[in-house]
Amino acid sequence: MRLLVLLWSLGPLLWQLRTSLLRPEALVAPLLEGNPWTLANYQLVLSGDPPFWRYLGNSTLVALATTLLTLLLAVPCAYGLQQQRGLLRWGVGLGLVGAAMFPTVLLFLALLEIARRFGLANDLLALSLPYAGLSLPLAVLLLRAAFADLPTELEDAARLEGLGLGQRLRHVLLPLLGPALASTGILVFLASWNEYAIALTWISRNDLLTLPIAIARIGGGSVFTIPYGAFAAATVLGSLPLLLLVLVAQRPIVSGLTRGAVKG
Amino acid sequence: MKARTASLLLMAPALLLLAAVFLYPLLRYGWLSFQASSVLTGLEPVPNGGANWGRLLDDARFWTDAFQTLRFAVCSVALELVGGLGLALLLHRPLRGRGTLRALTLLPWALPTTVMALGWRWILNDPHGPLNAAIRSLGGSSYGFLSTPATTWFFVVLADVWKTLPFVALLLLAGLQTIPEDLEEALRLEGAGRLQILRRLTLPLLVPYLALALLFRLAQALGVFDLIQVLSGGGPAGSTESLALYAYLNAMRFLDFGYAATVMLATFLLLLVLLGGGWWLWRRGDLQGRREGAA
Repeated sequence: MRLLVLLWSLGPLLWQLRTSLLRPEALVAPLLEGNPWTLANYQLVLSGDPPFWRYLGNSTLVALATTLLTLLLAVPCAYGLQQQRGLLRWGVGLGLVGAAMFPTVLLFLALLEIARRFGLANDLLALSLPYAGLSLPLAVLLLRAAFADLPTELEDAARLEGLGLGQRLRHVLLPLLGPALASTGILVFLASWNEYAIALTWISRNDLLTLPIAIARIGGGSVFTIPYGAFAAATVLGSLPLLLLVLVAQRPIVSGLTRGAVKG
Repeated sequence: MKARTASLLLMAPALLLLAAVFLYPLLRYGWLSFQASSVLTGLEPVPNGGANWGRLLDDARFWTDAFQTLRFAVCSVALELVGGLGLALLLHRPLRGRGTLRALTLLPWALPTTVMALGWRWILNDPHGPLNAAIRSLGGSSYGFLSTPATTWFFVVLADVWKTLPFVALLLLAGLQTIPEDLEEALRLEGAGRLQILRRLTLPLLVPYLALALLFRLAQALGVFDLIQVLSGGGPAGSTESLALYAYLNAMRFLDFGYAATVMLATFLLLLVLLGGGWWLWRRGDLQGRREGAA
């Protein structure tokens, strides 16, 4: 059973790995002689113009900037929302749930207009603005649930000690939010690393493409002209960081999604 | 009073960005959908008195796409719920190496959609892909999986299920973890089999989680875009085109922004009606069930 599940999940990826290591001729027909295995596809991808690691770097930069910005905005917002009562709390909460479910591709046209008007296109750091906006609903909901789990006596005690709001947040509450911050951050990182529609329309310069767009471009031609070996190598290289992230951060990812489901 | 004002200030930056990203586009589309803004008007908005909406009602392609999108969403989400439940039950059992198993099954969800959409195109390639190689070695002949509507549709659904099933499984796993083990133990002592436990205990307690997964996934699937754009391009002959892809083509290929905004807003309204209606029906059934239970 476990094996079947693993085969289903990893099969298509393992096939990419195999494809990436084969000589182009060996993809089309079984070789009659010689060694069919090669690293040439990787060399091709890594020596391209721009080299492939550039796209990895672009995606990492956008995803890190987005994660930082999202957390900076979401933590105070979640705290403030937790302090609110009545209609405002209910309304904002409902709005956040609605926004978290919204299919984001429908937003790209208006966001593209904003990018053109304010000269934000072809700017990786500016791309983290809409990304942070898209990530905020989920991040605020997750962090609000985390704030709700903290005992209120703790903050009351800190208030009696004479600590201001900023000090309470920084020295008392945030240290206890570590796990929630980690899992929220990882979910935001993954979402912005993988985003497609907005990156597709905001970024046109070849050396600024994020990984999903760059890979879609490699395969952009007709089905017959796609250099599948090189493309498979790109897929493998692009999957490795995510594989590492998922293996290392499995626990916070699962607990983040879990908390979101239980509290949301 | 002061604390409440301070907490409002804390929320302000995030709410402003949210308004810019979610609220402004909807308002903008509302306005743009009453303008002609295309190559014909030099890409400048000119009021056209609701002509876009009239065109939408008569646009066979829009309604075909709406039907195709709905069919795609219903089929793939149904498969994801069933498969996700199975996977969640497996991942919930205390197995050796459960953490690694969870991480590896999660991987398809963590990868960019476009990456694996292209991966599937290679697997389905005619004649060099592995699927066709396997068919040939069994004595069949190569088949263009992505050149007939029925098989293309099938593999679009399959690729979507492959990618999002782990996500659904994790949501359901969260639900499974809230079920106290002694309840299960009590039923087992009564002599209930595994299927009976599933039907009498597990499924009823999972209903809120199934509903959450259903709602969330339906909303996402009705907006499907990147998977279809890369895997099939909406083809063959538009048979897998989704509403979001049609809206994208209107904006970026036909450069008809007024109509693109209309299509996007209409898609959003359809989504709202479907999910809102579904939610309302579910709540009504739920309340009725409770009333009958009480009576």
